[in-house]
Amino acid sequence: MSESVPLTILIADDTDSDRLILETIVKKEGHNVISVCDGEEAVAAFVEESPDMVLLDALMPKLDGFGAARKIKELAGEELVPIIFLTSLTDTESLVRCLDAGGDDFLSKPYNRVILKAKIKSFRRMREMHQEVQVQRDQISSHNDHLMQEQTIAKQVFDNIAHTGCLNADNVKYILSPLAVFNGDVIVAAVRPSGSMMVLLGDFTGHGLPAAIGAMPLASSFYGMVQKGFSMVDILREINQKLKQILPIGVFCCATMVDMSFSKRKIKIWNGGLPDCYLHRASSGEVEPIRSTHLPLGVLDNMSFKDDCLHIEMEEDDRLYMWSDGIIESRNAHGEMFGEERLMGLFKDSASSIPVFDRILTAVHEYSQGERDDDLSMIELSMADPAAVTNTNLEYEPQRYGGMLEWSLDLELKPSTFRMFDPLPLLLNILVEVPGLRSHSGTLYTILAELYSNALEHGVLGLDSEWKKTPEGFAKYYAERKTRVDQLQGGYVRFSLDHQVMGDGGALRIGVEDSGDGFQHRENINNTHKSEGYSGRGIPLISTLCDSLRYIGSGNRVEAVFRWDADD
Amino acid sequence: MTSSVDAETLTMLKDVMEDDFDTLITTYVDDVVARIPRLKAALGSQNFEDLRHCAHSLKGSSSNLGALPLADLCMQVETLAKEMCVEGVEPLLTQIETEFHQVKAQLEAF
Amino acid sequence: MTIESRVSEDGQELIISIQGRFDFSAHQDFRNSYEALEQAPGKYRVDMNETTYLDSSALGMLLLLRDHAGGNAAQIEIVNCSPDVKKILTISNFEQLFSIQ
Repeated sequence: MSESVPLTILIADDTDSDRLILETIVKKEGHNVISVCDGEEAVAAFVEESPDMVLLDALMPKLDGFGAARKIKELAGEELVPIIFLTSLTDTESLVRCLDAGGDDFLSKPYNRVILKAKIKSFRRMREMHQEVQVQRDQISSHNDHLMQEQTIAKQVFDNIAHTGCLNADNVKYILSPLAVFNGDVIVAAVRPSGSMMVLLGDFTGHGLPAAIGAMPLASSFYGMVQKGFSMVDILREINQKLKQILPIGVFCCATMVDMSFSKRKIKIWNGGLPDCYLHRASSGEVEPIRSTHLPLGVLDNMSFKDDCLHIEMEEDDRLYMWSDGIIESRNAHGEMFGEERLMGLFKDSASSIPVFDRILTAVHEYSQGERDDDLSMIELSMADPAAVTNTNLEYEPQRYGGMLEWSLDLELKPSTFRMFDPLPLLLNILVEVPGLRSHSGTLYTILAELYSNALEHGVLGLDSEWKKTPEGFAKYYAERKTRVDQLQGGYVRFSLDHQVMGDGGALRIGVEDSGDGFQHRENINNTHKSEGYSGRGIPLISTLCDSLRYIGSGNRVEAVFRWDADD
Repeated sequence: MTSSVDAETLTMLKDVMEDDFDTLITTYVDDVVARIPRLKAALGSQNFEDLRHCAHSLKGSSSNLGALPLADLCMQVETLAKEMCVEGVEPLLTQIETEFHQVKAQLEAF
Repeated sequence: MTIESRVSEDGQELIISIQGRFDFSAHQDFRNSYEALEQAPGKYRVDMNETTYLDSSALGMLLLLRDHAGGNAAQIEIVNCSPDVKKILTISNFEQLFSIQ
């Protein structure tokens, strides 16, 4: 809006000569003038012409300037229509009346052209700024409406993902109080096929949508993996890796995860960055804090990520409390934090008949007087009757474990394949289709690699492991290996893999047979480490990795058994 | 003779009004001529509101035309009217009339 | 909240002092304190002597500094922590990533 655009200015004055002077001055400044003689005419002209500014005499017949100003301000509503009172009134009381009536300024007689010009200019600027602010306010307001609408829809999706599972189980009590529509805190709980319950409480950096974004993959990994029977370590690693990958540096998730085995009355717990969890013992009334010993999820890459957990016995009446920092960091009117001492004190009040969970909520609420500056979340867990849990399990766990469970596979490799193809990645890819084996892929690779190279090199190719004992022999060994593979006319290596479900886990049988002559295995099995001829075959290593290892027949067949347990 | 109108104010007005200057003078004079009987009538009927209002308007327009002594007399009437005081108003009205004749003469001569 | 930074006399170390609450409102100032430098110092020292409070977004900012300073190779000391501040750093096990005095 440029200064050259003429304004429409309403002049209301009952004195003809005064009005004539004003009209002339205003017109000379390039503006359009609407001129009237009393307050009623002024209001009518305002309605009719919507002027940008009003110059109003205070004392006029019919309706005076004060009454006219009130009406005009009322009609203008949110729009800023500056009213300048034309007056030779000098007493304070009258000037105050002008302002009370909605006047923005005064112009005293005798009129001065320069002053009037300056006032019009400054009010024009004020009016423009006001309009700009209103436009921006309306934009902000409409953006906000839009955002809230989007968030509400997104929240429905989020809630379906993040707050489902078995949070309603009888042994779980929880509260999540969001600062925003979305919450920086996430609580997920689900029962594994083995019947143990996994619960994860996470507190993402920040609040609202940015925090919720990380909660989505966390929740979907959690539910997906718990259902399939993955171990806590696998799930933590998966979530950590996913968060590390997708979240910007500086955004992470403080979390506590617990795996409650109801049948063994044991819990397994990992705390990365959340305040101490409390295990409240029913028998002694004591509280055992469980400290955070890890960095939060999403900080370290998976190589550095530490997944060691605490294993703790838990009785039926014991209670485990997990919370975000919102509890101990609640502040009172003086800005002091609720703190751990106060929290711990609530557990010591043995006289109280109110459950600890409710005691804490009430105490924190009273302390902070309803004011909150962080998300506040808390979970109380107790040991449940294993039978009761299995029932809730069925609703969302249509298939046990998922993935490949009971299967077997035979694979025979022939000479041309030895030259071109490494079968190990293929086999490994198949093995990790069993969820329980996934976290052992490193071990399985080692076992397969050792058995395969033994079968190929010593069995099919007839190479002597003795050669590998000296540096020269070592080089000769591998040169010879290449030559023999290239010239190989016959022979085979047969893999036979077989996986069975066993209890809470499973057993993988790995059979490897070669076309060679075998070797003297019986005596060697009995003194593995000392036997010179044996070390070359890497058998001690394989024995430590497997649950059992045995050579069959002439020694050209070997069978390794690898067991895994769902609680690993 | 003391000046009844401020020459500087008038010069400025003439500059602003250009061709309308004469119209302005005529308008002003007609206005005052119409108002003086109203002042008198208001005093006669002791209508202080009307008296005050009329004196106020006359004060304003006179000051705009640079007729400062006249504006000052009007302000005295306005003040008395506000206090609902009859005492001393009549002599002031007489002075206003006299002063206005001076003003008129000087304006028309400008 | 005020953040001040200065380079040590030998030019080897950037010292960042945080006064008052270290939370999200400090985000821009904290980044400016090290990103504005023309020449990256070899070491960083975050002085929490006058830091009254630290929240999780502050932890995030420390991670950003660590990333800026070379990630695993970063040499960052966090010094003069009050017990409250130290507690929060400890809960999050930040001593695994920073040298906390």
